Amino acid sequence: MIDLLVQAVTFAFQWQNLVALAAGTVSGIIIGVLPGLGPSAGMALAIPLVLKWPPATALIFMGALYKCSNYGGSITAILVNTPGDSSNAATILDGYPMCEKGRGGVALALSATAAMVGGSIGMICLIFSAPALANFALEFGPAEYFLTALLALSLIAAVVQGATLNGLIAAGLGLMLSFVGFDVITGHLRYTFGWSVIEDGIPLIQALVGLFAVTQALVLAESAGAISRIGKLAGGFLEGARIYFRYPYTVIRSSLIGLFVGVLPAVGQSSAGLLAWADAKRASAHPETFGTGDPQGVIASETSTNACMPGDLVCTIALGIPGSVGAAVFLGVMIIFGVIPGPLVFTEKADVIYSLFVALVLTSFVLFFVGMTVARHFALVTLLPNEIIVPLTLVISLLGSFAIRNLMADVVLSLGFGILGYVMLKGGLTPVPLLLGLVLGEMVETNYHRALMLSGGSYSIFFSSIICKILVILIILSFVGPYLAPLWKRLTGKMK
Amino acid sequence: MEKKVNRRLTVVTICALALLFICPNAWSADFPKKPVKMIVCSAAGGGEDMETRAIAPFVEKHLGVNVTIENQPGAGGKIAFEKFQKTEPDGYSLIMYTFPKSIIIEYIDKTNFRTKDFTPVFAWSRGNQVLVVHGDTWKTFGDFLKAAKSKTLSGGLSGRGSTVHLAGLVAVDELGIKVNWVPYEGSAGSVTALAGKHLDFTICLATSAVSLTKAGKLRPLVVFSDTRDPYLPDVPIPKELGFEATSMPGIRGVEAPPRTPAPIVKVLEDAFSKAIKEPAYIEIAKNRQIVLQPMSSKEYAQMVEVTYPRVEKYREMLKEK
Repeated sequence: MIDLLVQAVTFAFQWQNLVALAAGTVSGIIIGVLPGLGPSAGMALAIPLVLKWPPATALIFMGALYKCSNYGGSITAILVNTPGDSSNAATILDGYPMCEKGRGGVALALSATAAMVGGSIGMICLIFSAPALANFALEFGPAEYFLTALLALSLIAAVVQGATLNGLIAAGLGLMLSFVGFDVITGHLRYTFGWSVIEDGIPLIQALVGLFAVTQALVLAESAGAISRIGKLAGGFLEGARIYFRYPYTVIRSSLIGLFVGVLPAVGQSSAGLLAWADAKRASAHPETFGTGDPQGVIASETSTNACMPGDLVCTIALGIPGSVGAAVFLGVMIIFGVIPGPLVFTEKADVIYSLFVALVLTSFVLFFVGMTVARHFALVTLLPNEIIVPLTLVISLLGSFAIRNLMADVVLSLGFGILGYVMLKGGLTPVPLLLGLVLGEMVETNYHRALMLSGGSYSIFFSSIICKILVILIILSFVGPYLAPLWKRLTGKMK
Repeated sequence: MEKKVNRRLTVVTICALALLFICPNAWSADFPKKPVKMIVCSAAGGGEDMETRAIAPFVEKHLGVNVTIENQPGAGGKIAFEKFQKTEPDGYSLIMYTFPKSIIIEYIDKTNFRTKDFTPVFAWSRGNQVLVVHGDTWKTFGDFLKAAKSKTLSGGLSGRGSTVHLAGLVAVDELGIKVNWVPYEGSAGSVTALAGKHLDFTICLATSAVSLTKAGKLRPLVVFSDTRDPYLPDVPIPKELGFEATSMPGIRGVEAPPRTPAPIVKVLEDAFSKAIKEPAYIEIAKNRQIVLQPMSSKEYAQMVEVTYPRVEKYREMLKEK
């Protein structure tokens, strides 16, 4: 193993591989920034370009592109309230309010640091324990997935603290929206009203563009000024990196959540950031600052999404089973180059795989460097007057929503969600519970059905395995915990 | 004088018109003049998309113009098919999908397209469906069948209304066994669940289970095909096991819009058939374990014809279970 890694390091530092890595990083960031182009479409577009390259070099380019497109997505999420990809949704929640306080540069630095740290933690786990992690993922059947989703949904309780009723309404709305479309279990169409555009369900990115970008454009259009309310940029760039390391606890928790979400193929990648954000809010001593520009929000979301990508590669490489669309494209690229992912790949193509791994760790650092030197200047966007930035973001984000499926109807859908978001905002409802419901709804529902189909209708399947039992205890704790904490404090207080 | 000119003009016009009718190939000589678009009716990164992107550079070479790829996902391809029905039949727009997906959609749903209206151009690959079990369980198809007859097994359904779903229904129907189908969105879900022993078996495309099969975690017991799969030479086919299963493989190829002129189809067909003979493409196909099986425009049309009644037979079952 050590020999392999040493070999891989020397290989990754060959000039053509370094060039491929740098090129992949830059194209990844650009693809992430461009609306409607996520990692999957980006990689698919690049296939003809790399077809004649040596396999390892081509995979390094593709891997870097895959990894960095996520960081590119965080740039637009922070600066103009438009997620580049669905995984960046939670970054908006605190990233954009930071921009409003003039701290856009700091937020970008946080996201660049998160890409480096989260990415590296994820990669190290991937390098040293991929087969073990993959076997762990296989233990998860429908019952385990159902309970995991339930545990994730219990985070809604933390998110809605202080506005419980409003929050639950939003969460319910999110769950209801997740039911729209083709029902995987029964094969029937639900709530589509004959509109074929939503037969595959509510498209997530299009909904996000509406809920965030369009809503924000409407809000900004109400007044003159710029996104940055103080009219200038405050806070140095290095400050962002320094702030990041002030929250090691949040970093570790978020990395683990991201890795966990990534490793389990049936958990949607888009939930990684949201779950880490909600978890950080729950753990925080000042949960009320979340959503108003708390740097911890950006740290949690971005660290988690960046740790998620290597987690996603675990099952993709160790089992040949992709956990997301991005991973599926990457799997396809590997196969084209004759590297067939699966349990045997670690012995058959060890040189290529470990070079790729080393290169991806390296990418995390290159990304940090690029982010800290080049991307910082993007923060100037937040100083543009509203009359310029509003039409610009509106056109670009709607273009993105069109480009995903080449469907004009998706633009209509985004506008609809924009209006919904605006009404919710004015009514004091936050979009976070709605998003959690929308992202997790299908996972809860289909796995519940599958589990009962397997057990012949017996509920005992939800307590059958050890993982199930642990999950059930965690769920109970997450509901009862908030009530137990004060009790515990009082008890220990009395003891003293 | 004027009359003379007029008459001359008439003669020239008639000659020109006659020429046009005598050699319809005059059209194909100008085709193609601009980039040809291949529409993929699923998202970027899916099997169909990757296969299109792999072949496109080689088609480009033989067509002499750029080949662009446009993804039109949504409603399992229905949106793309309905749009394609009304597309200009000039040969510049082609659609790529896994046949007979479109026919299945026609039977499940009300649609504004007909697969038999499309103009088949060329099909090149064949995806065989396999029945796989976990490596720790049954060793042969006979053992599996014995178990399946004594109790109801749980089978992973790799996507409702998919070509694999249809294959599963056909097989179960022929074998006379009862199955507790557990539906998944696609084969990734059902194959993972099988590898984790949460299911007894699943039916999926051979390519979806390659790496886990090689590692011994999963075991294919039967390939639903008329001939053995070159990538799974040890796995028997129904005929050898003593039962008949109308094989319904997933065929990948391209079609042109309804009423595309034959000369144009010919140009396209030639370009595709040359593309799949390129050594570099064959290498890619081998890596992806694609079974190359060229099918001309005529053969493709015949297959469309015979597939309709086959799918219709399972129409109710596709809707129900």
